[in-house]
Amino acid sequence: MDSFFYLVMFAGVVAGASTGLLGVYIVGMRMPFIGVCISHSAMAGTIYSILLGVNPVWGAAVFSAFSSMSLAAIRPGRSRLDTNVALAILFNLMLGLAFLGIGLIQGSRSEVLGLLWGSLLFVRMSSVVTITILGLVFIVFAILFNKELKVLLFSRTIASATGVHESFVYCLFLALCGLILAVNLPLVGGLMIFSLITCPAAAAYQICTGYRSVIFAATIFGAISALVGFLVSFYLNLPTGACIVIVSALIFAASAIYRLLRHKRD
Amino acid sequence: MTRGRISLSNVEVRWSDRSILAVEDMQIRQGEFVGIIGTNGAGKTTFLKVCCGLIRPNRGTIKLDGRDLAELNAWRKANFRKHIGYIPQAAEYNTELPFTLRELVAMGRTSVKALLRPLNKEDYEIVDNWIERLGLSERRSQTFRSLSGGEQQKALIARAMAQDPEILMLDEPCSNLDFNWKYQITEIIEQLHRETKVTVVMVSHETSLLPSDCSRIVLLHEGKVLADGDVEEVFKSEVLERAYQCRIETLKIAGRRYTINKSRV
Repeated sequence: MDSFFYLVMFAGVVAGASTGLLGVYIVGMRMPFIGVCISHSAMAGTIYSILLGVNPVWGAAVFSAFSSMSLAAIRPGRSRLDTNVALAILFNLMLGLAFLGIGLIQGSRSEVLGLLWGSLLFVRMSSVVTITILGLVFIVFAILFNKELKVLLFSRTIASATGVHESFVYCLFLALCGLILAVNLPLVGGLMIFSLITCPAAAAYQICTGYRSVIFAATIFGAISALVGFLVSFYLNLPTGACIVIVSALIFAASAIYRLLRHKRD
Repeated sequence: MTRGRISLSNVEVRWSDRSILAVEDMQIRQGEFVGIIGTNGAGKTTFLKVCCGLIRPNRGTIKLDGRDLAELNAWRKANFRKHIGYIPQAAEYNTELPFTLRELVAMGRTSVKALLRPLNKEDYEIVDNWIERLGLSERRSQTFRSLSGGEQQKALIARAMAQDPEILMLDEPCSNLDFNWKYQITEIIEQLHRETKVTVVMVSHETSLLPSDCSRIVLLHEGKVLADGDVEEVFKSEVLERAYQCRIETLKIAGRRYTINKSRV
């Protein structure tokens, strides 16, 4: 294995860990569709960047930031538009824009189509650095705003009514969410990054009995999904994103079975 | 700093063409215990949400201690609302998360502490004190989801009280509880009101659940205030019959008011 792939694996582990941690909040807030919506926004942004010849990360960041801020504008109880309906509308818009962009590309579309599935070939040294930095930034964010994030998880309505700076923390969270998904997109793929957000967190919620253990378990499950997925993809020459998704789904299945068995035993 | 006064002036909340809440003028004084009653869809929950700024009315002003909430930006509004204890209906919070009872009650300290400041020993002393006062000490390490409905409601009250509130807003705190728990919860609320002199606004479907401390009742019907006054004034058969559209007899037993639908007797 080339020494560069150790770096790529490291980036993969950080990517898996950060999306796993992200998932704790997205799944906990019962808005798993946020991941789909923002990842498709990042995908559309990347496609238009390729069309315009600019750095794909910038396009992905701008599009996902647009989606994140649009979602942040919907206030619980105040807006007449349900968050999940807004997510569906944004998702469809972004998917439409992405496929329109693919249609507009002249010549070979292999690079763009690769974005849908993810590939190690898209990983550059700069992306390894960016993924690592953003992963660390999110961990710092989760530590600094731990008490506010807990209330947001329990109830955004209570947070808003009782003077928690809910909108500020929620906007920051969505912005970071958009950036993390944008930089991880080339590795895992726009169609499958959603799974890396939901499966590790959902698995952690299945088996853990405490909030802290959910955070640790989801982060570790995310890292394991990415690492094992990478290795399988590398040795069997299979699409990276697909391998990561299957591993993360297997972890969820194992957790669900474990919970079932534990309940039967109790 | 909030002191517990709420004033609504010419407030209207509309949904499409329908007015779901219209309050011309209402003052809730500091330390008052106000019960909000009415039929389904009368606007009780909307009233509470308007009072704490969760719903912005189409017209009118809501003031907390003389400050118009609409004039404040999101940051200042949050600072202004940090002494509002709010207990919504169960559908508005996630009972499935693995928070322990202590973690949940500690959430009450979140808005009291500045951003980036973690909770300290003093905060946890306040949290443990409220857990103890509400008789939940033995349950403090249990997850919220493993508690009974009544214990969950107690935990939510402890969370709201840990916030050191000046206004306590409760949206049907006794729904889905058995009769014994219903009375336990209302007695706790009554006792807290007596001890802390916090302003309480409590929505209830059952008139018997409004404690004897509840000196003022607001009867809502189709979004409008049909009656607003002391218990004797509002709990008259002819007043209630206008809202509930049936023959009603009111009874007073041990300081609480019961209503009987005479159309079915």
